[in-house]
Amino acid sequence: MRMLPMKKALVALCCAAASLPALAAEYLLTVTRPNNLHVVDPAKREIVRTITLPGDGIPGAIAVPKDGKIAYVLTNRMESVVGVEIDTGKPVFRADFSTPQRRVKGFFAVAVSEDGKELYVHQAPVQLGRAEYKVEDTYIAVFDTADGMHAKPRRTFPAPRRISLMAATGNPDHIIALGWDMYLFNTKTGKLEKTFPVRHWNRPGIGEPDVLAMWGTFEQARALSTPYFVAKTDAAPDSAEAFKAGIAVFDLDSETLKVKEFENATTAMFSSVINPAARNEAFLVMNQLTKVDVDTGQLLKRKDLEQTFYAINISGDGKELYIGGALDKIAIYDAASFDKKGEITMPGGADQSIGWMRVVKR
Amino acid sequence: MKRLRALNHKAHLIEQAATDGHREEVQLMSSVVGCTTTFDPGWEVDAFGGLASLCQPMEADLYGCTDPCWWPAQLADSLNTARDWTDGKNSALRDWRELQTLFPGD
Repeated sequence: MRMLPMKKALVALCCAAASLPALAAEYLLTVTRPNNLHVVDPAKREIVRTITLPGDGIPGAIAVPKDGKIAYVLTNRMESVVGVEIDTGKPVFRADFSTPQRRVKGFFAVAVSEDGKELYVHQAPVQLGRAEYKVEDTYIAVFDTADGMHAKPRRTFPAPRRISLMAATGNPDHIIALGWDMYLFNTKTGKLEKTFPVRHWNRPGIGEPDVLAMWGTFEQARALSTPYFVAKTDAAPDSAEAFKAGIAVFDLDSETLKVKEFENATTAMFSSVINPAARNEAFLVMNQLTKVDVDTGQLLKRKDLEQTFYAINISGDGKELYIGGALDKIAIYDAASFDKKGEITMPGGADQSIGWMRVVKR
Repeated sequence: MKRLRALNHKAHLIEQAATDGHREEVQLMSSVVGCTTTFDPGWEVDAFGGLASLCQPMEADLYGCTDPCWWPAQLADSLNTARDWTDGKNSALRDWRELQTLFPGD
């Protein structure tokens, strides 16, 4: 059938419009017990979709490729990763790590390549004997996300124990892994290309830092950060200076690590996020909301919260903070004034517990 | 300790690990992951000897600890041995009264 030029142009325009996404908006992803993933519109302060994940809970870590289409959630008591389409809720990927004789856990450390083709899971295997358990060496398993609902690792490479966070860097061949130190792996060769000392940093007058890095939040500023606590070994043990709080920031594009102490340790902080609009600013959370300057080491602002929150994230313009995890709420705070601007309650009052909170653009 | 003597295979392995110089492999936490790797203070007092850095309310931390098997002596191990401990009780604040005490035989 022959088309008139004008009609042809109109059809082409309509096709192009249909294939383009609407102006990208930001959505929050979080999880609740027993095994649900929620897509939250932070602008409207409401949950727009709840996806029931297949199988046993409890969901925790969430990994999302750059296009924000599929969420990979660590669940089934940390023995499976399930991938679901964020727009439809359709399960498209599943990898079960364990067998009846061999229990394999992935403790939080799940990452997906930026192009979404490969999924990386740090795994800790144990052989379950009749009278004894045999702990095996840990490794990173690489899955092809196109392998669908019965995915098995395409390859593995050795990795130290205690890795709790991983992220793809700006180099498509690299992931960074946080354990006792930070390890830069080449995912194609499996080679540990560089170690950034953290526990083994050997800084004069500073001891070994204590890190609780269970929440992966790095997509907005492309910087993986975590609070740490460390003894100041050249200070009198009974002085206020004897124990410091600091923040470690790994820039995913430049692949560089910066650490900075910012106060005498007086309060616990669980997780942190870097402001994408002012990269010297970090926000930290637990029982307080805290803002620090990671360049100067200044404590800029602090506010007591009405309850404990484990996880923190930030809007792309750096104006709103989202805090969640632990109980059943996401609270929204103004990043400049720390005034509370909103609150979103999870369906059924279900707890987010150890769940991560990620931002995707759709 | 001089009065203790290894009798079975496991006890011999522990004894051997100590004599082979593996004693120092047990270390304080730094990037902690999972069961029994944690040696931080419990629920009674925070890292600074006070209460302000304990989770508030305390129920906020209940599932956050049981889900990753944080303090397996104080809390059920939801990862392995007590996977159904919180079934149907998805809000710690609301449902904690329904959680049952676990005994070694459970």
